[in-house]
Amino acid sequence: MGHIAVGISGGVDSAVAASLLIEEGYDVEGIFMKNWEEDSEYCTVEKDYKDALQVCDVLDIPLRSVNFAKEYWEKVFQYFLEEYKNGRTPNPDIMCNSEIKFKEFLKYAIDLGADKIATGHYVRSNILQDSVELLKGLDKGKDQSYFLHTLTQKQLSKSLFPLGELNKAQVREHAEKKGFNNFNKKDSVGICFIGERNFKNFLKDYLPSKPGKIVTESGKKIGAHDGLMFHTIGQRKGLKIGGGNGDNSNAWYVIEKDINHNELIVGQGHDHPLLYKKNIQVSKIHWINNEKVELGELSAKIRYRASDHKCSITELKDGQALIEFEVPQFAIANGQSVVFYNDEICLGGATINSSF
Amino acid sequence: MFYFDHSATTPVHPSVLDLINKVQKDFYANPSSVHSAGKKAKAVIEISRTRIASAINANPEQIIFTSGGTESNNQVFWSMLNKSKSHVISNKIEHPAVIKVLKHLSTFNLDYSLINVDKNGLISLDELKGQITDQTSLVSIMMSNNEIGTIQPIKQVVELLKDKNILMHTDAVQCFGKISVDVELLGIDFLSLSAHKFYGPKGLGILYVKNRDTINNLLIGGSQEYGLRGGTENVASIAGAGLAAEIGSKNLKKNAEKLKGLEIFFIKELKVLYPSAIINGHLTNSLPGLINVSFPGFRSDILMAKLDRVNIAVSSGSACGSGSIKPSPVLSEIGISEKLNLSSLRISFGSTNNLEEVKILLKELNLILNN
Repeated sequence: MGHIAVGISGGVDSAVAASLLIEEGYDVEGIFMKNWEEDSEYCTVEKDYKDALQVCDVLDIPLRSVNFAKEYWEKVFQYFLEEYKNGRTPNPDIMCNSEIKFKEFLKYAIDLGADKIATGHYVRSNILQDSVELLKGLDKGKDQSYFLHTLTQKQLSKSLFPLGELNKAQVREHAEKKGFNNFNKKDSVGICFIGERNFKNFLKDYLPSKPGKIVTESGKKIGAHDGLMFHTIGQRKGLKIGGGNGDNSNAWYVIEKDINHNELIVGQGHDHPLLYKKNIQVSKIHWINNEKVELGELSAKIRYRASDHKCSITELKDGQALIEFEVPQFAIANGQSVVFYNDEICLGGATINSSF
Repeated sequence: MFYFDHSATTPVHPSVLDLINKVQKDFYANPSSVHSAGKKAKAVIEISRTRIASAINANPEQIIFTSGGTESNNQVFWSMLNKSKSHVISNKIEHPAVIKVLKHLSTFNLDYSLINVDKNGLISLDELKGQITDQTSLVSIMMSNNEIGTIQPIKQVVELLKDKNILMHTDAVQCFGKISVDVELLGIDFLSLSAHKFYGPKGLGILYVKNRDTINNLLIGGSQEYGLRGGTENVASIAGAGLAAEIGSKNLKKNAEKLKGLEIFFIKELKVLYPSAIINGHLTNSLPGLINVSFPGFRSDILMAKLDRVNIAVSSGSACGSGSIKPSPVLSEIGISEKLNLSSLRISFGSTNNLEEVKILLKELNLILNN
C-alpha cells in the first residue's frame, strides 16, 4: 500500500488520520514537529508530545520527532512580524502550511523514505488523470481548504487527507473508541505560538507599539489607540470609545488603518458603508492546477470564517489581479488571503493588498 | 535490538539483576531498624559500600549513596554555598547537571567561571590557572565528556591546585568500567558516579568524598549515610551497584580492550564505506567504544529514524522534552558548524556488543548512506 508519514500533533485530528490510514492497510509512521522553541506555561509542546506518544503507542507505530523551529522562525514568524509592522493582518497558519508542513516536513518525510505524507486537515483531494484537485472537507463547519490554497500539484500528489469525508463528531467518536487520551481535547484556536496568552502583550515583546489617535471618517478625534498593529478591520471590541461620541448609539467599528498618519479610523454600526467593499486588489496569485481553470462559476472567500461569494477576476501581470464580488464583503483585511472556489473545488488564492 | 547507546545507559548485568531481585525480596527491612532483619539490610548496604570503595580505591567511609550522578553533582555544588570563598571553576562542555546547577547557584551568590575547550574537547591548564582567584573554592572538571568521550587531565588539574586550598570535583559518570577510576591516584576531593552507566540499576548514584567535613547535606532528613543524605536507603539498588562496580572493576582491562577493538574496527570500515565521515573529539585520548561521527549531507534525525526502523539504537545531539533534536552545545563548543552538528551521531559500544553486531551496524549504515 505504501509508507505514509503522518504529522502527529497530539491533537485528535491527526491521531484519527493515522488510525484511519492503518485501517486502510498503509504502513504508517508518526512524526511530531516542534516548530517553536519555548517551554513556557503557554507552550503546550510537552503535553502535546505526550499525547502524540500515547496515540502512537495505541496504534503501535513509531513516533519520530523533528525540529523545524529555525525554519518556522525564519519563514513564518518573520513574515508574521513584518506584516504587522506594515499594518496588515497576516495569516501564519497559511504560511506554516506552505513553508513548513508541505515543504520542510514533506521533504523530511520523503528523505525518511515515505511515499506520501498525511495530515489531519478537513479537506479532500481528488486525483484526476493528469492533475490533483483540492476539495473542501465534507464537514462544512470544519472545511480547512482556505488554509491550504497555496498547495502545488506536486505537494498535493504527495499528500493524503484521511479526514476529508468526516465531521468532527465522527472523528472524536473514532478517537474515543480507539482509546486515545486526546479524544475530547479542545481544538486549538488562534495562533499556535501565542497559545492562550494575551495577543497584545505577546506582540509588544517583538514590535514597538506606536500609540496614536482614533478618528472618525471626517477626521474628528474620539479616542486613542496603543498601536495600529493591535487592531484589525471590522473589529468592534476593545476600542474604548466613550459614550457621547457619534450621532447614534450604534457600536464603533474599525473601518480603516491609516499607516501614514498612524490613525485608526472608525465608524458606527455593523452596516457602515465603508466596512463593505466589492473590489479587491491582490498579489501572489496561485492556482492549484498551475493556471486558472475555467470551471463555470467562480466564487471566493476573504477570510476563513466566511462563506464564499460569487466574483469575477481580472488577472494582471506578476501574479497581481483584481477581484470584483457581486455583493460587497464585510471587513476585508489586507494581508489575509482571498481563496477561490468552484463549488467544492478549491482553485487557489491570493494575498489581499487593498480593497475599494 | 542492536543497542549502541551505552553512554546513555547500559543494560543491567544478569548477576546484578539477580542480586537486586533477591535483596528486594529477602531484605525488605529498613536498614535503620534495630531488629535483626534491619541489621541484615544494613549489612547489605555496607557490603556494597566496601565493594564500591575497593573498585575506585577509596575507603568505605568515603562513599555516599545518592539517587544518581545528578544528585551527587548537586550535593557537591550546593555544599559550596555559605563558605568563606565563593567562586567555582568548571568548563563549557560539562553535563547540564553541572552547568545548570552552577547557573542556578549564581542566584545564591556563588560565582562561577566556565573555561573553554579546544577543538578536541580538551581544557587548557593555563586558562584554568588564569581563572583562579583568591575566592576560588572548587574546581569541577568532568573526567570524560558524555558526547565526544574526550578524557580530561584530571591528575594534572589536581596537581595545579595543590597547596591552594581549592577543592576538586570530577564527574566520572561516563568513565567507570571503561578507564581506570582511582581516587587515590587522582588525588581528587569529590567524584560522582552513576550505577546505570556501568550495568547497574537506574536511580542509584555514588558520591566519593575524600573528607566528609567538606560536604553538607543536600537532602535533609534522617541520619542515613553518615548524616549526609537523609532518606531510607534504596537497599536493592545499592546492592546491585556494589556488584556492578565489582564486576566492572574486575573486567576493566578486558572490557576496555574489547571496546577499543570494536571502535577501531568500526571507524576503519566506516571510512571505507563513507570516506567523508568526520570523527569528532580526541582521536586517542578518549573513552574506548564511544564514537561521535558527522555524516556531511545527512540529517542525524533521519539517520537515527532509519536505523531505528531496523532496530538499531544510537543517539544524537541533545534531545529535548519533545524528543526532537537540537544542535549539541558540546559540538558547538568544539567548533563544529551547526550543519555538521545536526549531521552527527553518537555510537557507544558496551560490553554486550560483539563484532557481528558492529558489522550489522555498518551494513545498515551502508544501505542508508550509499543508497
